[in-house]
Amino acid sequence: MRTPAWVPWVYLGPAVAVMAAACLYPLLSALQLGFYDWSMGTPWGEAKWVGLDAFSRAFQDPSVWRSLRTTLLFAFVCVTAEMVLGIALALALEGQVRAMAFFRTLFILPMMIAPIAVGLTWRYLFDAQFGLINAILAVFGHAPVGWLAQENTAFMAIIIADIWQWTPFVFIMMIAALANVDGAVLEAARVDGANWWQTTFRVKLPMVMNVIAITLLMRLIDAFRVLEVIYILTFGGPGESTEILSLHIYKTAFVGQRLGGAAAISVLLLIVVAGLSWFALRLSNPLKDEER
Amino acid sequence: MKRRTLIQTAGGGALGLLGAGLPLFGYAQDRFAKYKGQTVVLSIPAHPHYDAMVKLLPEFTKQTGIKVEVDKLAMARMKDKQLLEMAKPSGDYDLICYVVMWKGEYVKKNLIRELDPFFKNAALADPNYDFKDVVPRYVENMGLVGGPKGYLAGPGAKLYGMPYGAETSVLAYRRDIFAKHNLKAPDNYTEFEKLLPILKDKAGIGALTSRGQAGHQCVHAWLLHLNPLGGKVFDDKWNPIFNNETGVKALNFLKLVSDTGPVGIPGYGQGEMITSFLQGQAAMYLDSSLIFGQVNDPSKSKIAGQVSYVVHPKGVRHSSQSGGLGLAIPKNAKNADAAFLLMQWLTSKEQDKAVCRIGGVPSRNSTMMDQDMVRQYPEYITLRQQLEYSDPDWRPIIAEWDEINIQALGVAVSEALTGKKKAKEALDGIVPKVTDIMKRGGYLKG
Repeated sequence: MRTPAWVPWVYLGPAVAVMAAACLYPLLSALQLGFYDWSMGTPWGEAKWVGLDAFSRAFQDPSVWRSLRTTLLFAFVCVTAEMVLGIALALALEGQVRAMAFFRTLFILPMMIAPIAVGLTWRYLFDAQFGLINAILAVFGHAPVGWLAQENTAFMAIIIADIWQWTPFVFIMMIAALANVDGAVLEAARVDGANWWQTTFRVKLPMVMNVIAITLLMRLIDAFRVLEVIYILTFGGPGESTEILSLHIYKTAFVGQRLGGAAAISVLLLIVVAGLSWFALRLSNPLKDEER
Repeated sequence: MKRRTLIQTAGGGALGLLGAGLPLFGYAQDRFAKYKGQTVVLSIPAHPHYDAMVKLLPEFTKQTGIKVEVDKLAMARMKDKQLLEMAKPSGDYDLICYVVMWKGEYVKKNLIRELDPFFKNAALADPNYDFKDVVPRYVENMGLVGGPKGYLAGPGAKLYGMPYGAETSVLAYRRDIFAKHNLKAPDNYTEFEKLLPILKDKAGIGALTSRGQAGHQCVHAWLLHLNPLGGKVFDDKWNPIFNNETGVKALNFLKLVSDTGPVGIPGYGQGEMITSFLQGQAAMYLDSSLIFGQVNDPSKSKIAGQVSYVVHPKGVRHSSQSGGLGLAIPKNAKNADAAFLLMQWLTSKEQDKAVCRIGGVPSRNSTMMDQDMVRQYPEYITLRQQLEYSDPDWRPIIAEWDEINIQALGVAVSEALTGKKKAKEALDGIVPKVTDIMKRGGYLKG
């Protein structure tokens, strides 16, 4: 007997409704907030309707565009480095390496540490007077460097901290994907005379391209949302050199007490992330085989 | 019987150890009895003074029967949580510790209670409290809202908070280093400016440690110099004047501090600033009196016994900061009376001494005058002198200050410190932004 068309909707309906509400409610709330001038700690009834003023201010504010540029550069450098390092590590450790369990555990540890702790750890590591990094440099006769005191080095510091924390995520995704590559296909490639390089880049990686795409997408989204580590490490400074958009939104909302303005910039961030996600999915959509 | 038990208990154990006095609590049982069993939820920051305060709380519960639950957060995250809690019809907090800069905003948003009704309530007020003994500058700075400029003492000012963890700035210097190189602590900014490169050169360590991180930290450091040099952020009509000659001079001085100080000052928060001094990486410290309790603590300091204190050097005037932390009762507190009793107990003469003995900072003149306390902290002599110059108007703590402080001045000062912009260029660059904020706040017409 053929299942009526409405049956799947009955089964899926409640879950879809809950998911849609969980996603849509905050989104619509943020959008609504963007049209009001409301300060945290005051009753919502006191919020003033300002129309598109907050959106207009966001688009005209040079700090927003500066933060967006910083965010794009941060995301590009971090995600690129994390993808390359994560994939390289997974390829290096996918086989039967001695003490494999130890290495895998070691590599995923940073990912499991709370971002605030990561921020504090790196703040101490980069400390100009007492940090480990300067201590190592001192062994080679190098004068202490104020890592968090100059724009370029501070930006490098937040990138290093992010790469350290999130490369393991790429590693764990990739090592799982590589473990599922059909050994027979690889064997066939080797029989056909493919060397390691050809096997890796023409057989293995194309076979896990869907996982690479989804990992890239997840890292990209996360890179736009990072806040705590930068908050602790540099608070966006020196100047505004490490103020990425999420930190700018935080400051607008909780320092400037302009929740409407923060919501408007959040919508801008959402558009950017959605656009980049669409682009990443165009590279290789892991769901396209499922389309009917 | 109950009173006797209380006094007997008070005579020994922790209370005796901390030196809290007895008479206050001899009369206390009726005042506290009604609230026995209630729990006061207290929002505090991770901060040396409050770390010490927490050790006193079991004694409060023992004496009064009022329990205390502490919610401790990093200073930077505390305000968001407090705002969220205090905006609810019924919040979780009964008593909050706040940073001085938040007082105007909390009152403007109708989030905290005026304290006069509590102090006038005979059922709650302690007759031995001696309000006038609380450092008046601290009361003005931490507690008063609604007076001149909205935050100073004068017509319209009302009491909304009590200083607890309040501070001013003093100059601490390494006695051993100064003696070795035959140097003298600076009396004024001319001497100060000359001393910095000499000290750096001779001592081989940073001359003066300082905050410098973008945002509040670097602005705090700049304001420390701006005020004695005669500058202000706004004129009497709230027009920005921080970019005038004095503002630029103060910023150039801070740049000199950064260049001759320990490496990395433009990235220093308060923690790094203090650590670099305590660990012997800087010969001078000019900041909060909070450092008193830490200098001679061997677990934190390598310079115990080598530090002397003088008042903040004079520019065109004597001036030092006035700030720090206070206690207030949220409008939506469930146990407001019990919270007041805790606040009153903590800020009493006896407990002010008690918290100082274990690393806190004084809020009362009697603590700074007490011979035993002065033996433990000879620096209280300097502190008393300094408090005469402490300026409650050293920064404009209007509700808009946080935004100006962090998102405008905090960027400009930081950019000047790293050398990205010249001091004048950096300060001029944010005048439109600050003007815009002041217009939005209704201080300027626009």
